[in-house]
Amino acid sequence: MKKKLVSLVMAAAMAASVAALPAFAGETEAAVDPSQDSGEIYMFIASPEYADAINTLIDDYKKVAPNVTINYETTQNDYPTLLKAKINSGDVPDIFSSTSGKEIDTYLEYSLDLSDQPLMKTIDPGVASAMASAKEGGGMYGIAIKGNYFGMIYNEDVLKDAGVDKVPETTEELKAACDKIKSAGYTPFTTGFMEWWVYKHVAQHFVDAAAKAAGISAADLVASIQKGEKSIKDYPIACDNFFDFIDYVVKNGDDKPLETDLAGEEQAFASGKVAFMLGQGAWVEADLKKINPDLKIGFAGYPVDDKAEDAQVISGSDQALRINKDSKNLQAVLNFINWWYTSDEGQAWFTDVAGVVPPVKSDKASDFVIIEQGKKLADEKGSGELAIVDSTDSFHQVFGEAMQSYIAGTTSKEDTIKTIDEQCAAIDGPNAQ
Amino acid sequence: MKRSSMKKKKGLENVLFTIPAVILVCMVMYIPFVMSGYYSLTRWNGIAKQPVFIGLENFKTILSGSDSFLSAMWFTIRYTFFFVIVSNVAALALAVALTKRFRLANLYRGLFFIPYIMSMNIVGFIWKFIFTSGFKKFFELTGWGFWNLSWLGNPSMAFWSVTIVGIWQSLGFYIVLYIAGLQAVPKDIIEAAYVDGASRRQTFFKVTVPLLGPSMTTCVFMSLTNGLKVFDIILALTKGGPGQSTYSATLSIYNEAFTRNNYGLGSAQAILYFVFVLVITQLTLKMMSRKEVAL
Repeated sequence: MKKKLVSLVMAAAMAASVAALPAFAGETEAAVDPSQDSGEIYMFIASPEYADAINTLIDDYKKVAPNVTINYETTQNDYPTLLKAKINSGDVPDIFSSTSGKEIDTYLEYSLDLSDQPLMKTIDPGVASAMASAKEGGGMYGIAIKGNYFGMIYNEDVLKDAGVDKVPETTEELKAACDKIKSAGYTPFTTGFMEWWVYKHVAQHFVDAAAKAAGISAADLVASIQKGEKSIKDYPIACDNFFDFIDYVVKNGDDKPLETDLAGEEQAFASGKVAFMLGQGAWVEADLKKINPDLKIGFAGYPVDDKAEDAQVISGSDQALRINKDSKNLQAVLNFINWWYTSDEGQAWFTDVAGVVPPVKSDKASDFVIIEQGKKLADEKGSGELAIVDSTDSFHQVFGEAMQSYIAGTTSKEDTIKTIDEQCAAIDGPNAQ
Repeated sequence: MKRSSMKKKKGLENVLFTIPAVILVCMVMYIPFVMSGYYSLTRWNGIAKQPVFIGLENFKTILSGSDSFLSAMWFTIRYTFFFVIVSNVAALALAVALTKRFRLANLYRGLFFIPYIMSMNIVGFIWKFIFTSGFKKFFELTGWGFWNLSWLGNPSMAFWSVTIVGIWQSLGFYIVLYIAGLQAVPKDIIEAAYVDGASRRQTFFKVTVPLLGPSMTTCVFMSLTNGLKVFDIILALTKGGPGQSTYSATLSIYNEAFTRNNYGLGSAQAILYFVFVLVITQLTLKMMSRKEVAL
């Protein structure tokens, strides 16, 4: 009994001392030279898939700034919920994540404007623009772990075997290719429609083409729906072409589309019996190669209409790392991210350790086919606007659920369009909180 | 004199020993409850530093049916209805079977109890695998179309999948309660009934079941609250999908507050749901205990 009591007291004392540490960290003077920095940086970010890589980065930084300890924490699930809990309890992490674009303003009052930092010189302009605040005065409120490529992944062997010698770029070509694929005994598509975020990745390609047809930017198109001025019906490519495409892939895709999640989709595609994989990008390549190392992957834009030039890949960064502007150890935090973005070791981390699309201006080659092809296609045909960041994930989840109901047949196309219009204005509109 | 001071000391001791529990319960239950009462009157996204006070606006939004909470309530009511009926009937039947003397009876009791000690999340992921990959294999082996249905992808099937898994998981717990109840039924009364010429069936329904009253009250009450609280199994199995067809009230509250950033509206839903649960459970408890018979 006594022993138990002693250990309890010890545990309490230890917990108290751990809790007290950040308070001490704030008192140390920080300098511009990282090696003079000391104290702790609390980093709580999403993207658990890069946990190992980030630990390597932290070890590397330890050599530069031996007195700085970076407490790195990540989570597989429910990052926003945990972050909100931390923010509300006054424990705002020094470095935290959000999505880029629209959500930049959601966390604005906690976030530091980085536009006068040295890393501005090296950051990729596409990434930087996704981190800008839409509020008056602008500013750049985040950095990215990675850039990204979004598009349609295809299996080169299947296309070759079915006699499709050109990756389809228009709706007509896609249908012709699918007929050949089907008659060769393959399944044309796997979709992952059980996941709500697959829809937003597909839809943004249609939004881009629709915006181009209307002569405006994708951001303006989304804003016009958010303001309630327009309906997506006013943009036929974003509406009719998108719905037709969904109908078509459901008919020619997985047996049980609403039961296929990311894992199911990867499994189906890696089996080598499926021609196209929808709604994914550079992040699935490692998984696919792990299941089937012989898979020959190709990467292209979606055929969204009858113009070949509209089948573009999309590049950009949908995740942001934010800096807490009230951080107790602000200078040390800034030194860290500036080192990450501007030093040679820091920059090499993106391609050599994490294997991601570098969010900095760089011409290093990558081992990943999707990244290399994405880069090539973006150079040749240009890349589309990253339209997913113009809405919050709160809306995207509702959007995904609405599309699921449509595919399940519980709602009609008319009702689904109505839901999308209404929810877009209600969640992301100017009258939303 | 001495006695009363002893008594006083004892009373003080009781208070002292309950204080830690009271503090903890207050911290994790009552204080948050009062706070969500306040938040339900505000518009707040859970992030901004200052919530905006808007009075009863949130309750108006919910009751006018302009958000999906009412359909989530209806889902929860249906789920709870089937959950209470099926899990109690099946648990009673299995408990009767498992109190018979046969080989491996104890092993079976253990087998039925195992799902209950697993976390709901794990159960959900296991069944997700069974529904998608397991059933596919069964279909390849047997060719029965029943296996090839989209158990999680079809909105009306998804309801039954969730209900079946929910019942399967918690069955063991109710079986144990019923077994305890059955063993407490005095043997002499059952023998007396036999001597009086009652059939097995009559003995069971006229003697055993009424004497199981207290167990039944406990089981029905527990299954009712567990049914109304259903959350994790849905999150792991369908995440409320396809569409919003398997949103339970609790999942709807969670999504409203945390994914859609409507903390105020979510709190208002939680308060309404609390009142609903309070009324339902009190009514059931009253009804059940009135029916109990004493020996």
